[in-house]
Amino acid sequence: MKKKKLISVALLVCMLLPSLLLTSCKEQKNKYVAHSFDYFDTATAITGYENDEEQFNRISNEILALLEEYHKLFTIYHRFEGMENLCTVNELEDGAHRTVTVDGRIIDLLLYAKEMYRVTNGRINIAMGSVLSIWHEYRTSGLDAPWEAELPPMELLEEAAQHTDINDLIIDEENSTVFIADPKMTLDVGAIAKGYAVEMVARALEGRGISGYVINVGGNVRAVGAKPDGEKWLVGIENSDTESNKAYLAYLLLEGESVVTSGSYQRYYTVDGKNYHHIIDTQTLMPAEGYISISVVCKNSAEGDALSTALFCMSPDEGLALVEGLSDVEAFWVMSDGSTHSSSGFPKYTTQP
Amino acid sequence: MKKVNKSSPDTQGVRRTTRNDIILIAALLTLILLSALAVLLFRTEGDTVIVSVDGNNYGEYPLNTDAEIEIKNGDGYNVLVIKDGEAYVRDASCPDGICSSHRPIRYNGQSIVCLPNKVVIEIRSQDQKQPDIIA
Repeated sequence: MKKKKLISVALLVCMLLPSLLLTSCKEQKNKYVAHSFDYFDTATAITGYENDEEQFNRISNEILALLEEYHKLFTIYHRFEGMENLCTVNELEDGAHRTVTVDGRIIDLLLYAKEMYRVTNGRINIAMGSVLSIWHEYRTSGLDAPWEAELPPMELLEEAAQHTDINDLIIDEENSTVFIADPKMTLDVGAIAKGYAVEMVARALEGRGISGYVINVGGNVRAVGAKPDGEKWLVGIENSDTESNKAYLAYLLLEGESVVTSGSYQRYYTVDGKNYHHIIDTQTLMPAEGYISISVVCKNSAEGDALSTALFCMSPDEGLALVEGLSDVEAFWVMSDGSTHSSSGFPKYTTQP
Repeated sequence: MKKVNKSSPDTQGVRRTTRNDIILIAALLTLILLSALAVLLFRTEGDTVIVSVDGNNYGEYPLNTDAEIEIKNGDGYNVLVIKDGEAYVRDASCPDGICSSHRPIRYNGQSIVCLPNKVVIEIRSQDQKQPDIIA
C-alpha cells in the first residue's frame, strides 16, 4: 500500500512540476518592439508585452493604423486624394484661404492648440506657419548642401511674423469648418500634433482595456497601463552629452503617464560651425537658446508636447513658475552647460535603479 | 492488527523499498530542478543588438562579439560597429550625421536612430534593472 502511494506521489510530482514550469513560462509575456518612420516626420517605436508575437503585431498594427489616420489629418506637408487636412486648410485659392469642412479630430486639435496658446502665453502658436516654413526651408537645404547652408534673413522672418495672429484662425465647431482669415498666415502644428495624436491613440487603447504598452513618437512617450506584472515602466532620460559616461540623467517610474522630451540636439543644421535647431522662439524668431533638452511628465501627452516646446522658449524662472502653477505637471531642464533642474514634484516620479 | 503487521518481515521489505523510493524521488526531483535550471539559463540569452530598417527586422547581432556591419537601405548606408560590448555608427550616408555622432550604446532599450536612412539600432537585454524605455 505505502509503496504504491509513494510511487504515485512521485509520479504526480514528476508530472506536475514540468507542467507548472510550462504554465509559468506561458504566462510570462514577452517584450516586443515595432518601429515605423511613416508618421509625423519622425521615428515611432511601439513597445508592448504580449504572450506571442502574433498578438503583439495585431495590436501594434492597430496603433500604427490609428497614428496614420492622425498623421494624414494633421500633416501640413502632404495632401491626400479625397480628403481635407491641415495641408489643404493652409492652401490658397485665388489668393485667399477657403472655409474648409474638416474631420472633427482636426477641430479638436485646433481648439486644444488655442487653449495651449493661452496657457503658455503665446509660446505655443500654431499660427506661426509662415515663420516656421522659412526655417524649415533653410534647414532642409542646409542639410542637403551643408557647404552653402545659411540662416534665413531676419527681414524675411519679421515680415512673416506679421501674419501669425491666432485670432485669424476661425474655427466653427458646429459646422466643423476652419478658415484662416489672413491670406499670408498658415498653420504649423508641429509642437502639438504628435503629442495630441499619441494621447488620442493611448486613450483608445485604454478604452479597450489594453495595457502593457508604451507608444513613443519622436520623443513623445506615453505609457498605456503598467507592465504585465503590475510593475511600473522604468524610463531613462537620455544624456545627450556624448562625452559623458552617464547614459541617463534621470530614471522615472511611469504607469499610464506621459513624458515628452524636446531637445535641441536632435533636429538641427549647421551654419558656420554653429548648430541651429528646430525649436523657434515665437518672440525672437530664432532657435530658442539656453537648453539642451527639457522633459515634461504629465498625464496628457498633448499637454506634455506643447509644454516641453513652450518651456524651451522661456527663461528657467518663467518656465518653473508656469509648471508649478499647473496641476500634475512636472518638468526636468537640462541647461546648455549640462546642469539640471527640476520642478518641485518631479522627484516623486524618479527612482534609482 | 496494525501493530502486528508493522513488525512482520513482509512490511520490513516494504520499508526497504521506501528508502529506494525516496532515493528515486530525490533523483527525479534533482533531474527536474536541473532541467528547469537549464531552461531558465537558456532563456536568459545575452544582450543583443537589433537592427531594423524602415520598421522591418534587418538583423540581430550579439553585443559580446566584435563585428562590423554595413546596413544598406537603397543608396543609403550606416556602418554599425560592435566592439567591447558597445555598439555605435562609425560612418553613414545621411546628411545630418546624428547617428554617427551618437554615443556608443550598451544598455537595454538604448537606441541609435537614423531618420534619413530609417534605421533603428537598439540594445535588447534580459537584465531587468535597465530602463524599459528611453526618453
